Amino acid sequence: MNLEELEKSVNLMEDIQEIENLQRIYAYYFDLQMWEDIIDLFSDDAESVEIVDHGLFLGKEGVKKMYWGWIGKGIRSANQPWIQFIITQIGGVVDISPDGKTAWGRWQTWLCEAKPFGAFPKQEWLHGYYENKYVKENGKWLFSKLHWNNTFCSPFEDGWLKTPLMGLMNYHPTVKPDAPPTAFYPYPSGYHLPYHYNHPITEK
Amino acid sequence: MNVVHQGDHPPKGELPVNIIELEKQVILMEDIQEIENLQKRYGYYFEIGNYQGVVDLFSEDAESVEIESCGLFLGKAGVKKMYVDTIGSNKYESWVRFCIQMMGGVVYVDPIGKTAKGRWQTWLCEAMPVGGVPRQQWLHGYYENEFVKEHGKWLFKKLHWNVTFYTSFEAGWVRIPLLGLLTMKMADAPPTAFHPYPSGYHVPYHYKHPITGE
Amino acid sequence: MMNLEDLEKQVIRMEDIQEIENLQRRYGYYFDTRNFQAIVDMFSDSADSADLESFGLFRGKEGIRRLYLDDIGRGGRPRYPSESWISTVIFQIGGVVNLDPSGVAARGRWQTWLAETFLYGGVPRQYWVHGYYENEYVKERGKWFFKKLFWNVTFFTMFETGWLTQPLVGLLPMANPDGPPTAFYPYPSGYQFPYHYNHPITGE
Repeated sequence: MNLEELEKSVNLMEDIQEIENLQRIYAYYFDLQMWEDIIDLFSDDAESVEIVDHGLFLGKEGVKKMYWGWIGKGIRSANQPWIQFIITQIGGVVDISPDGKTAWGRWQTWLCEAKPFGAFPKQEWLHGYYENKYVKENGKWLFSKLHWNNTFCSPFEDGWLKTPLMGLMNYHPTVKPDAPPTAFYPYPSGYHLPYHYNHPITEK
Repeated sequence: MNVVHQGDHPPKGELPVNIIELEKQVILMEDIQEIENLQKRYGYYFEIGNYQGVVDLFSEDAESVEIESCGLFLGKAGVKKMYVDTIGSNKYESWVRFCIQMMGGVVYVDPIGKTAKGRWQTWLCEAMPVGGVPRQQWLHGYYENEFVKEHGKWLFKKLHWNVTFYTSFEAGWVRIPLLGLLTMKMADAPPTAFHPYPSGYHVPYHYKHPITGE
Repeated sequence: MMNLEDLEKQVIRMEDIQEIENLQRRYGYYFDTRNFQAIVDMFSDSADSADLESFGLFRGKEGIRRLYLDDIGRGGRPRYPSESWISTVIFQIGGVVNLDPSGVAARGRWQTWLAETFLYGGVPRQYWVHGYYENEYVKERGKWFFKKLFWNVTFFTMFETGWLTQPLVGLLPMANPDGPPTAFYPYPSGYQFPYHYNHPITGE
């Protein structure tokens, strides 16, 4: 390689590392319910965010509605300390576009949660996949589109086979999505969130 | 996330700054990243039931594949036998599911840059029929895999998934460390290292201690 | 375009981050196989401290030897076949590593999920454990070592009961620490284990 090609390679690897970090930092903010910090990880030209069956929220306004309004209930961080979201980011596959300005990433997540369900505190196992899009602005990577597809959300006591979905989460009295969820087919539907990438060898 | 093994590679920052050495270092990091990706994609193809996709990640000169108590399958023919002909022949209903979480990869690329080894941990939540009964399961295991670089791309040369426990969601690994055997009749040989919990067995590391070198 | 020297600095930086990730994962694998001498050898001779769960604070390389070899490692007494069921599986997940500009110091945050088994009250029991690391590293003679290991436990519950019902099965004080644990506030305290890093976008 000549110096220019070498520099391109090195920049590519740094980009991938930064995106992995962004994804993990997102999860750590979610764990501590720091909703404003999460919103600041999104581009001002963010496309959309979609989590479980809350629905599709468009643009940066939609991102604010989702994290601050719906999930965060307008509160800066946990005022009920027993409410817990632990999101583990696993198995990231990141691909950067040739112009180095956009990227896609797929992760799996395993969650152990504690939150109210109806009137009752419940402990839950969750599993899901991300297929996210990122954009590089002023030398930094930000989220452009976040899509977390839920596989199952099961009570600790029951497991995914007995109770794959504790209930629907598609209603909020005041926060309304811009569109219904684009791909909510939880276990045991057999649905798998499509890959952003081709086969690395056959390229199919 | 990529990892670099200290091993035989030249110590960093001590070479004269020359472009050839720098290029070698950059290629090494790219190799490690590609291998990590290969490993994760393997998991994602397995989950979706794309067993041909899995087979296509193996070299034509693949050595073997061994998973759990299934048995040892030799060569590329064995790889196809196991994934496509045996596992893939099961017409699973949509409730059958494997979630394979690849974690903690430690990858070592040989100094010539043509072969590599990697260790990962996996945690699985599964739903599968066991003895005809739908069960939900927790699994844990380690990979110690080998890779080869052909025509500029990394492929699997040898895959070995060593199971720690394969337990039911309800019982846990202490009460039921192994729900059952998954012996495959078409295997070329019995499993080489099937010693599940609580044997105390741990599949050996491919790497030496990063500090002491032992 | 960068010159060769700057490019080399960038490459070294990335290799450093990779090596630290590697160190962290090997720590987990050595713990799984109870190779505590190997763990001690990954700490700098000028190590600061180790603070795990409710064990207490152990200072300096001498404290680290005491913790891993004498306490957790049971004085190196051989594991009898009947005790092979005692096991710890530690997943190192979601690492965010930041290098000091000097290039010889670094910090890292990980989450860990554990499936553990040991005797409790004379009976073999199985546990789910979750925690975060905020660790410090130092580069000596071209290699990275642990300088300070801080594992903060979220919950330590039984397989059968779960974090909501029983967040902590009990305390695990060691006989001979140098001080009490510095931040033992398990779930559901609402304690937020501080990040070592600022927000990647806002810098706050």
